[in-house]
Amino acid sequence: MEMASFIAAVLIQSTPILLAGLAAMITLRANILNVAVEGMMLVGAFVAIAVGDLTGNALIAVVSAVFAAFLVSQALAFFTLKLHADFIVAGLGINLLAAGGTLFLLERVYYNPGGLRPITFPEIWHVPDGSLSFIPILGPAFEGQSAIVLIALLAIPACHVFLYRTPTGSYLRAAGEDEHAARSAGIRVNRMKTLAVAISGVLSGLAGAQLAMDRLHFFLPEMTAGRGFIGLAATLFGNGLPSATAVASFLFGLFGAIGDRLQAFNIPAQFVLMLPYVAAVVGLGIGMWRIKMRNRPAKIEGEDKRPGA
Amino acid sequence: MLKSLRSFGLAILPQAAAIAVTMFLGFVLVAAIADEPLLAYRELLFANFDSRSNFALFINRATPIALIAVGIVFAFRAGVFNVGGEGQLYLGAMAATVVALFLSDLPGAMLLPLCLLGGILAGGIWGWIPAVLKVRLAVDEVVSTLMLNFVALLFTSYLVNHPLRDPEAYGALSRKVPESVWLPSIPGLPNASMGFVAAVILAIISWIVLFRTSWGAEVRAAGTNIRFAEAIGTPGGRRVIEAMFVAGAFAGLAGALYVLGIGHRFEQNFSPAYGLVALTVALLARVHPIGALLTSLYYALMLNGAAYMQIATDVPRSLVVLLTGLLVLFMTVRLRPPRVVG
Repeated sequence: MEMASFIAAVLIQSTPILLAGLAAMITLRANILNVAVEGMMLVGAFVAIAVGDLTGNALIAVVSAVFAAFLVSQALAFFTLKLHADFIVAGLGINLLAAGGTLFLLERVYYNPGGLRPITFPEIWHVPDGSLSFIPILGPAFEGQSAIVLIALLAIPACHVFLYRTPTGSYLRAAGEDEHAARSAGIRVNRMKTLAVAISGVLSGLAGAQLAMDRLHFFLPEMTAGRGFIGLAATLFGNGLPSATAVASFLFGLFGAIGDRLQAFNIPAQFVLMLPYVAAVVGLGIGMWRIKMRNRPAKIEGEDKRPGA
Repeated sequence: MLKSLRSFGLAILPQAAAIAVTMFLGFVLVAAIADEPLLAYRELLFANFDSRSNFALFINRATPIALIAVGIVFAFRAGVFNVGGEGQLYLGAMAATVVALFLSDLPGAMLLPLCLLGGILAGGIWGWIPAVLKVRLAVDEVVSTLMLNFVALLFTSYLVNHPLRDPEAYGALSRKVPESVWLPSIPGLPNASMGFVAAVILAIISWIVLFRTSWGAEVRAAGTNIRFAEAIGTPGGRRVIEAMFVAGAFAGLAGALYVLGIGHRFEQNFSPAYGLVALTVALLARVHPIGALLTSLYYALMLNGAAYMQIATDVPRSLVVLLTGLLVLFMTVRLRPPRVVG
């Protein structure tokens, strides 16, 4: 039982990171370092709570959150691909806009800069209690998880199939690997990049909805707290592969869950909260060190110096 | 003369256009929600000059932004996208506070330089870590500096909430640093900290170092093309790491000067995202130290103006975050496609 509740905690911690990681992964495969995942998540979280409060319907709330994040992603695509803005700078701009825009709406529309806490909020579909108890350990861990957790888990194989088993996926990867070659082969590079950004918007919106709707049922300014960036770190850690990104996301989720447990042992909260971020930096370092070690013998002396990377 | 003026004009045109478009969109938004949009914009832009004390606050606001931005110029010139200004700033402020509190028996003339040194080193090390990770292991610096920001913020939050907390103060504040290390104010401008003078001098020195010394040339070469820089025999990787140390040191110094000149203690959340604002400033200034200094003034104007605007009208101050987002989004927009290289 103890084990099951710990796995459940890991799942809860991992899901937003996993969705953010997959979102960043799809764009990374199109050769875009998408720092805007954070902002799109925030927009998703805000819209989920605002629409849920307004309509009283959880499904409409999730769909609106996804759609809002999708719209933001398309704004990013427009500014970078049509207006040639720098991707990282524009992404940071999107993050600021999301933070400023949600805060502005909280102050202006809800007259409460502290957050948006509806008194009643529609419950998102959760796996009913006792329905999976015939499976040892994993069954109870999945009971009570939201539908978005299941979607996130399904998104791992879905991303794999999309990237490696569909023509569009291979066009997308080709556009990311060598833009000029892809263009010569007749692939519409910008369309592929727009698609990648759109998918990452949808996944980020889901991540935000999960964060706000699963347990908390409220929105706080900056409630994403860097989870989008941890997802980005998971993608880089996982070298842009769906399965490895997922593993890295679960690792970060594990650290988050361990952190929550440690809080019971009178360790200052700050050090506990620090764990996933430290894990991300150390993990990235180790991951890149392993790649470097693996690549070393195959390279000719002097060629392993990456140009700025 | 006319020609150089023309090229200067062309160089700043995209930035000026981005600012103009942002301010215009901001005005449309304000006009849509406020009863007195003109008053709101007047407060936003000009209330800083209404009184001497407003102007002093404006100068104090510009100081950390200018210092971090000039540091970020070093990082950018070395090809590093340093998003870690915030963490470096906090650690610098914390280091200065710790030094001042624990060595408070020393005379001010000795303690003040030690505090500054502490801030510089703490910030510098926090810039050095992602640089080493980037140069040696190709770890993406955008992600690592962002993660390190969270670590620095949480670590300083622990220190100010537990060991350093002032038991008599309300909120997460450290004890006050001894008065012997308080920075004097600018003559004729009470409450405006001398830190701004330091920022101006350092911006000029930075321009000379970056553009008139061989070290600066090597940093810029490493930033433009590190493989080429190393092929012609300059230590490119080392220059990148050194430039990032300098960038962190500038942010750390900004934190130290904030504590010594303005706050006189470490306050949790003392920075309204100065790190990110400074990044914006550095980019708006086209990665030029003097430009960064001037642009930081524009930003300080907006940040402080927003507070006056909120007091005088019904426009919330988060408008400025919104405008910053728009500005950052517009900032690198080019209507003509950039030249494709390679």
